[in-house]
Amino acid sequence: MLSQKLKLQQWCSTAKNVADRALIVAKFLCVLHIADNYLCAPTLVHGPSMLPTLNMRGDVVLTERVSHRIGNVGVGDVVLVVSPENPRKMITKRVVAREGDPVSVVGDGIWGDVSRSFVVPKGHVWVQGDNPYQSRDSRIFGPVPYGLIKGRVFLRVWPLDEFGLL
Amino acid sequence: MGPSNFQLWGSFAKEAMDASMLVVNFFCFLQVTRTYIFNAASVSGPSMLPTFSLSGEIVLVDRISLRLGKISRGDIVLVRSPENPRKVITKRLIGIEGDRMTFAVDPRRVGDDRKTVTVPKGHVWVQGDNVYESRDSRTFGAVPYALLQGRVFWRVWPLEDFGAL
Repeated sequence: MLSQKLKLQQWCSTAKNVADRALIVAKFLCVLHIADNYLCAPTLVHGPSMLPTLNMRGDVVLTERVSHRIGNVGVGDVVLVVSPENPRKMITKRVVAREGDPVSVVGDGIWGDVSRSFVVPKGHVWVQGDNPYQSRDSRIFGPVPYGLIKGRVFLRVWPLDEFGLL
Repeated sequence: MGPSNFQLWGSFAKEAMDASMLVVNFFCFLQVTRTYIFNAASVSGPSMLPTFSLSGEIVLVDRISLRLGKISRGDIVLVRSPENPRKVITKRLIGIEGDRMTFAVDPRRVGDDRKTVTVPKGHVWVQGDNVYESRDSRTFGAVPYALLQGRVFWRVWPLEDFGAL
Protein backbone atom coordinates (compact mmCIF):
# COMPACT_ATOMS: atom_id res chain seq x y z
CA MET A 1 0.00 0.00 0.00
CA LEU A 2 2.78 2.38 0.97
CA SER A 3 4.95 1.36 -2.00
CA GLN A 4 2.04 2.04 -4.35
CA LYS A 5 1.68 5.52 -2.98
CA LEU A 6 5.45 6.09 -3.36
CA LYS A 7 5.33 4.88 -6.95
CA LEU A 8 2.50 7.28 -7.73
CA GLN A 9 4.47 10.14 -6.21
CA GLN A 10 7.53 9.22 -8.26
CA TRP A 11 5.40 9.09 -11.39
CA CYS A 12 3.98 12.53 -10.70
CA SER A 13 7.38 14.09 -10.11
CA THR A 14 8.83 12.45 -13.25
CA ALA A 15 5.87 13.64 -15.28
CA LYS A 16 6.37 17.13 -13.91
CA ASN A 17 10.07 17.03 -14.85
CA VAL A 18 9.24 15.91 -18.37
CA ALA A 19 6.61 18.64 -18.70
CA ASP A 20 9.10 21.28 -17.53
CA ARG A 21 11.73 20.14 -20.01
CA ALA A 22 9.17 19.97 -22.80
CA LEU A 23 8.13 23.52 -22.01
CA ILE A 24 11.72 24.73 -22.26
CA VAL A 25 12.11 23.00 -25.63
CA ALA A 26 8.81 24.49 -26.81
CA LYS A 27 9.90 27.98 -25.77
CA PHE A 28 13.21 27.54 -27.56
CA LEU A 29 11.46 26.42 -30.74
CA CYS A 30 9.12 29.40 -30.53
CA VAL A 31 12.06 31.78 -30.29
CA LEU A 32 13.79 29.99 -33.16
CA HIS A 33 10.67 30.30 -35.28
CA ILE A 34 10.38 34.02 -34.60
CA ALA A 35 14.08 34.61 -35.34
CA ASP A 36 13.95 32.51 -38.51
CA ASN A 37 10.85 34.15 -39.93
CA TYR A 38 11.15 37.73 -38.79
CA LEU A 39 14.84 38.41 -38.34
CA CYS A 40 17.48 36.33 -40.04
CA ALA A 41 17.93 32.72 -41.08
CA PRO A 42 20.73 30.62 -42.56
CA THR A 43 19.80 28.97 -45.83
CA LEU A 44 21.48 26.45 -48.09
CA VAL A 45 21.26 27.54 -51.70
CA HIS A 46 22.40 25.45 -54.62
CA GLY A 47 22.00 25.17 -58.36
CA PRO A 48 23.52 26.75 -61.45
CA SER A 49 21.12 29.64 -61.94
CA MET A 50 23.05 32.19 -59.87
CA LEU A 51 26.59 31.50 -61.16
CA PRO A 52 29.05 33.12 -60.75
CA THR A 53 27.63 34.85 -57.68
CA LEU A 54 26.62 31.68 -55.89
CA ASN A 55 28.23 28.28 -56.34
CA MET A 56 26.50 25.37 -57.94
CA ARG A 57 27.30 22.85 -55.24
CA GLY A 58 25.82 24.79 -52.41
CA ASP A 59 26.50 27.87 -50.33
CA VAL A 60 25.19 28.68 -46.89
CA VAL A 61 23.93 32.23 -46.84
CA LEU A 62 22.22 34.41 -44.28
CA THR A 63 18.91 35.83 -45.37
CA GLU A 64 17.32 38.71 -43.55
CA ARG A 65 13.57 38.75 -43.22
CA VAL A 66 13.08 42.41 -42.42
CA SER A 67 13.50 44.27 -45.70
CA HIS A 68 10.72 42.62 -47.63
CA ARG A 69 8.21 43.33 -44.88
CA ILE A 70 9.00 47.04 -44.88
CA GLY A 71 9.09 47.23 -48.64
CA ASN A 72 12.83 47.77 -48.78
CA VAL A 73 13.69 45.26 -51.51
CA GLY A 74 15.20 46.99 -54.51
CA VAL A 75 16.78 46.34 -57.86
CA GLY A 76 20.02 44.37 -57.53
CA ASP A 77 19.04 42.54 -54.35
CA VAL A 78 19.40 38.78 -54.28
CA VAL A 79 16.16 37.43 -52.84
CA LEU A 80 14.61 34.19 -51.72
CA VAL A 81 11.32 33.71 -53.56
CA VAL A 82 8.68 31.00 -53.44
CA SER A 83 8.55 29.58 -56.94
CA PRO A 84 5.29 30.52 -58.70
CA GLU A 85 5.44 27.17 -60.48
CA ASN A 86 5.83 25.04 -57.36
CA PRO A 87 4.76 26.46 -53.99
CA ARG A 88 6.93 23.98 -52.10
CA LYS A 89 10.15 25.20 -53.67
CA MET A 90 12.16 28.27 -52.73
CA ILE A 91 14.38 29.77 -55.37
CA THR A 92 17.14 32.37 -55.24
CA LYS A 93 17.20 35.07 -57.88
CA ARG A 94 18.18 38.69 -58.31
CA VAL A 95 15.61 41.47 -58.56
CA VAL A 96 16.15 43.08 -61.94
CA ALA A 97 13.12 45.37 -62.17
CA ARG A 98 10.45 46.72 -59.85
CA GLU A 99 6.80 47.60 -60.51
CA GLY A 100 6.52 50.24 -63.17
CA ASP A 101 9.91 49.48 -64.75
CA PRO A 102 10.03 48.50 -68.41
CA VAL A 103 11.31 45.01 -69.26
CA SER A 104 12.23 43.52 -72.57
CA VAL A 105 11.92 39.79 -73.22
CA VAL A 106 13.33 37.96 -76.18
CA GLY A 107 11.40 34.87 -77.26
CA ASP A 108 11.05 31.71 -75.17
CA GLY A 109 8.97 30.96 -72.10
CA ILE A 110 5.34 32.01 -71.99
CA TRP A 111 5.83 34.81 -74.47
CA GLY A 112 6.12 32.70 -77.58
CA ASP A 113 8.74 33.45 -80.17
CA VAL A 114 8.40 37.20 -80.30
CA SER A 115 10.51 39.81 -78.63
CA ARG A 116 8.31 41.88 -76.33
CA SER A 117 8.65 44.89 -74.19
CA PHE A 118 6.30 45.69 -71.35
CA VAL A 119 6.02 47.25 -67.90
CA VAL A 120 6.23 45.27 -64.67
CA PRO A 121 2.70 45.41 -63.18
CA LYS A 122 1.87 46.97 -59.84
CA GLY A 123 2.75 44.81 -56.84
CA HIS A 124 5.17 42.62 -58.82
CA VAL A 125 8.92 42.32 -59.36
CA TRP A 126 10.97 40.87 -62.20
CA VAL A 127 13.58 38.36 -61.06
CA GLN A 128 16.38 36.79 -63.02
CA GLY A 129 19.21 34.44 -62.24
CA ASP A 130 22.74 35.76 -62.76
CA ASN A 131 23.36 32.83 -65.12
CA PRO A 132 20.85 33.48 -67.90
CA TYR A 133 21.61 30.23 -69.71
CA GLN A 134 20.67 27.97 -66.81
CA SER A 135 17.95 29.81 -65.01
CA ARG A 136 14.20 29.45 -64.84
CA ASP A 137 13.09 32.90 -63.85
CA SER A 138 10.71 35.70 -64.80
CA ARG A 139 11.65 35.25 -68.44
CA ILE A 140 9.85 31.91 -68.18
CA PHE A 141 7.14 32.38 -65.56
CA GLY A 142 6.55 36.11 -65.73
CA PRO A 143 6.68 38.83 -63.09
CA VAL A 144 6.45 37.60 -59.52
CA PRO A 145 4.02 39.12 -56.96
CA TYR A 146 5.90 40.91 -54.21
CA GLY A 147 4.18 38.76 -51.59
CA LEU A 148 6.17 35.74 -52.76
CA ILE A 149 9.47 37.26 -51.66
CA LYS A 150 10.47 35.66 -48.40
CA GLY A 151 13.86 37.18 -47.62
CA ARG A 152 16.92 39.03 -48.88
CA VAL A 153 20.30 37.32 -49.10
CA PHE A 154 23.01 39.55 -47.64
CA LEU A 155 25.91 37.45 -46.37
CA ARG A 156 27.59 34.23 -47.43
CA VAL A 157 28.94 32.20 -44.51
CA TRP A 158 30.04 29.00 -46.30
CA PRO A 159 32.39 28.15 -47.97
CA LEU A 160 34.65 30.04 -45.62
CA ASP A 161 37.06 31.26 -48.28
CA GLU A 162 34.16 33.09 -49.87
CA PHE A 163 32.78 34.53 -46.64
CA GLY A 164 31.43 38.02 -47.21
CA LEU A 165 28.61 40.33 -48.15
CA LEU A 166 26.69 39.72 -51.33
CA MET B 1 18.35 49.86 8.72
CA GLY B 2 15.84 48.95 6.04
CA PRO B 3 16.58 47.85 2.49
CA SER B 4 18.51 50.51 0.62
CA ASN B 5 17.12 52.29 -2.41
CA PHE B 6 19.45 50.32 -4.58
CA GLN B 7 18.11 47.02 -3.31
CA LEU B 8 14.51 48.17 -3.81
CA TRP B 9 15.29 49.19 -7.35
CA GLY B 10 17.02 45.88 -7.95
CA SER B 11 14.04 43.83 -6.86
CA PHE B 12 11.67 46.05 -8.83
CA ALA B 13 13.79 45.61 -11.95
CA LYS B 14 13.80 41.87 -11.47
CA GLU B 15 10.02 41.77 -11.18
CA ALA B 16 9.68 43.91 -14.28
CA MET B 17 12.01 41.55 -16.18
CA ASP B 18 10.02 38.52 -15.09
CA ALA B 19 6.75 40.12 -16.14
CA SER B 20 8.10 41.17 -19.52
CA MET B 21 9.58 37.69 -20.11
CA LEU B 22 6.11 36.31 -19.50
CA VAL B 23 4.65 38.73 -22.03
CA VAL B 24 7.35 37.88 -24.58
CA ASN B 25 6.73 34.16 -24.08
CA PHE B 26 3.03 34.68 -24.56
CA PHE B 27 3.50 36.62 -27.78
CA CYS B 28 5.94 34.06 -29.14
CA PHE B 29 3.47 31.30 -28.42
CA LEU B 30 0.62 33.31 -29.95
CA GLN B 31 2.64 34.02 -33.08
CA VAL B 32 3.55 30.36 -33.58
CA THR B 33 -0.10 29.36 -33.13
CA ARG B 34 -1.19 32.02 -35.60
CA THR B 35 1.36 30.87 -38.16
CA TYR B 36 0.90 27.13 -38.01
CA ILE B 37 -2.49 26.36 -36.50
CA PHE B 38 -5.17 28.99 -36.76
CA ASN B 39 -5.68 32.70 -36.83
CA ALA B 40 -8.51 35.19 -36.39
CA ALA B 41 -9.20 37.79 -39.04
CA SER B 42 -11.62 40.57 -39.76
CA VAL B 43 -13.15 40.59 -43.24
CA SER B 44 -15.09 43.46 -44.73
CA GLY B 45 -16.11 44.82 -48.10
CA PRO B 46 -18.70 44.09 -50.76
CA SER B 47 -16.88 41.43 -52.76
CA MET B 48 -18.12 38.43 -50.78
CA LEU B 49 -21.80 39.35 -50.44
CA PRO B 50 -24.05 37.60 -49.47
CA THR B 51 -21.66 35.28 -47.63
CA PHE B 52 -20.02 38.11 -45.72
CA SER B 53 -21.86 41.33 -44.98
CA LEU B 54 -20.60 44.76 -45.93
CA SER B 55 -19.92 45.95 -42.42
CA GLY B 56 -17.38 43.35 -41.46
CA GLU B 57 -17.22 40.02 -39.74
CA ILE B 58 -14.68 38.22 -37.58
CA VAL B 59 -13.71 34.78 -38.78
CA LEU B 60 -11.31 32.00 -37.84
CA VAL B 61 -8.72 31.06 -40.43
CA ASP B 62 -7.21 27.60 -40.58
CA ARG B 63 -3.51 27.44 -41.42
CA ILE B 64 -3.04 23.67 -41.21
CA SER B 65 -4.96 22.68 -44.34
CA LEU B 66 -2.91 25.23 -46.23
CA ARG B 67 0.34 23.57 -45.31
CA LEU B 68 -1.01 20.12 -45.98
CA GLY B 69 -2.27 21.21 -49.37
CA LYS B 70 -5.85 20.25 -48.47
CA ILE B 71 -7.53 23.35 -49.86
CA SER B 72 -10.18 22.54 -52.44
CA ARG B 73 -12.60 24.24 -54.80
CA GLY B 74 -15.32 26.05 -52.91
CA ASP B 75 -13.20 26.99 -49.87
CA ILE B 76 -13.15 30.59 -48.78
CA VAL B 77 -9.52 31.65 -48.59
CA LEU B 78 -7.47 34.60 -47.44
CA VAL B 79 -5.10 35.73 -50.20
CA ARG B 80 -2.29 38.26 -50.20
CA SER B 81 -3.29 40.58 -53.02
CA PRO B 82 -0.99 40.35 -56.07
CA GLU B 83 -1.69 44.02 -56.71
CA ASN B 84 -0.82 45.27 -53.24
CA PRO B 85 1.35 43.04 -51.05
CA ARG B 86 0.26 44.81 -47.88
CA LYS B 87 -3.37 43.87 -48.37
CA VAL B 88 -4.96 40.51 -47.57
CA ILE B 89 -8.24 39.85 -49.39
CA THR B 90 -10.96 37.24 -48.92
CA LYS B 91 -12.20 35.30 -51.92
CA ARG B 92 -13.58 31.89 -52.80
CA LEU B 93 -11.31 29.36 -54.47
CA ILE B 94 -12.96 28.40 -57.72
CA GLY B 95 -10.26 26.65 -59.73
CA ILE B 96 -6.97 24.83 -59.18
CA GLU B 97 -4.05 24.27 -61.52
CA GLY B 98 -5.11 22.74 -64.79
CA ASP B 99 -8.74 23.88 -64.64
CA ARG B 100 -10.18 25.79 -67.57
CA MET B 101 -12.01 28.84 -66.24
CA THR B 102 -14.65 30.56 -68.32
CA PHE B 103 -15.95 33.90 -67.14
CA ALA B 104 -17.78 36.95 -68.36
CA VAL B 105 -15.44 39.84 -68.92
CA ASP B 106 -17.98 42.33 -67.62
CA PRO B 107 -20.93 40.77 -65.79
CA ARG B 108 -22.87 44.01 -65.86
CA ARG B 109 -23.07 44.08 -69.61
CA VAL B 110 -25.56 41.74 -71.17
CA GLY B 111 -23.80 39.92 -73.93
CA ASP B 112 -21.68 36.98 -74.84
CA ASP B 113 -18.33 38.50 -74.00
CA ARG B 114 -16.66 35.51 -72.40
CA LYS B 115 -13.04 34.56 -71.86
CA THR B 116 -11.50 31.18 -71.15
CA VAL B 117 -8.24 30.77 -69.26
CA THR B 118 -6.34 27.70 -68.12
CA VAL B 119 -5.02 27.95 -64.57
CA PRO B 120 -1.23 27.47 -64.77
CA LYS B 121 0.76 25.03 -62.65
CA GLY B 122 1.24 26.15 -59.05
CA HIS B 123 -1.61 28.67 -59.27
CA VAL B 124 -5.25 28.92 -58.16
CA TRP B 125 -8.24 30.89 -59.40
CA VAL B 126 -10.11 32.97 -56.84
CA GLN B 127 -13.36 34.89 -57.22
CA GLY B 128 -15.54 36.90 -54.91
CA ASP B 129 -19.10 35.65 -54.38
CA ASN B 130 -20.36 39.06 -55.53
CA VAL B 131 -19.20 39.04 -59.13
CA TYR B 132 -20.33 42.63 -59.75
CA GLU B 133 -18.14 44.19 -57.07
CA SER B 134 -15.08 42.07 -56.80
CA ARG B 135 -11.50 42.51 -57.97
CA ASP B 136 -10.33 38.97 -58.24
CA SER B 137 -8.69 36.54 -60.67
CA ARG B 138 -10.92 37.85 -63.44
CA THR B 139 -8.98 41.10 -63.03
CA PHE B 140 -5.48 40.11 -61.92
CA GLY B 141 -5.27 36.54 -63.19
CA ALA B 142 -4.54 33.26 -61.44
CA VAL B 143 -2.78 33.63 -58.11
CA PRO B 144 0.32 31.58 -57.10
CA TYR B 145 -0.61 29.04 -54.43
CA ALA B 146 1.98 30.45 -52.02
CA LEU B 147 0.05 33.73 -51.77
CA LEU B 148 -2.79 31.96 -49.96
CA GLN B 149 -2.82 32.84 -46.29
CA GLY B 150 -5.38 30.40 -44.90
CA ARG B 151 -8.80 28.82 -45.20
CA VAL B 152 -11.77 30.51 -43.53
CA PHE B 153 -13.72 27.87 -41.64
CA TRP B 154 -15.68 29.51 -38.84
CA ARG B 155 -17.51 32.76 -38.30
CA VAL B 156 -17.23 34.22 -34.79
CA TRP B 157 -18.94 37.60 -35.15
CA PRO B 158 -21.73 38.72 -35.55
CA LEU B 159 -23.03 36.26 -32.98
CA GLU B 160 -26.30 35.51 -34.72
CA ASP B 161 -24.29 34.07 -37.62
CA PHE B 162 -21.87 32.15 -35.42
CA GLY B 163 -20.97 28.85 -37.05
CA ALA B 164 -19.15 26.95 -39.73
CA LEU B 165 -18.60 28.40 -43.19
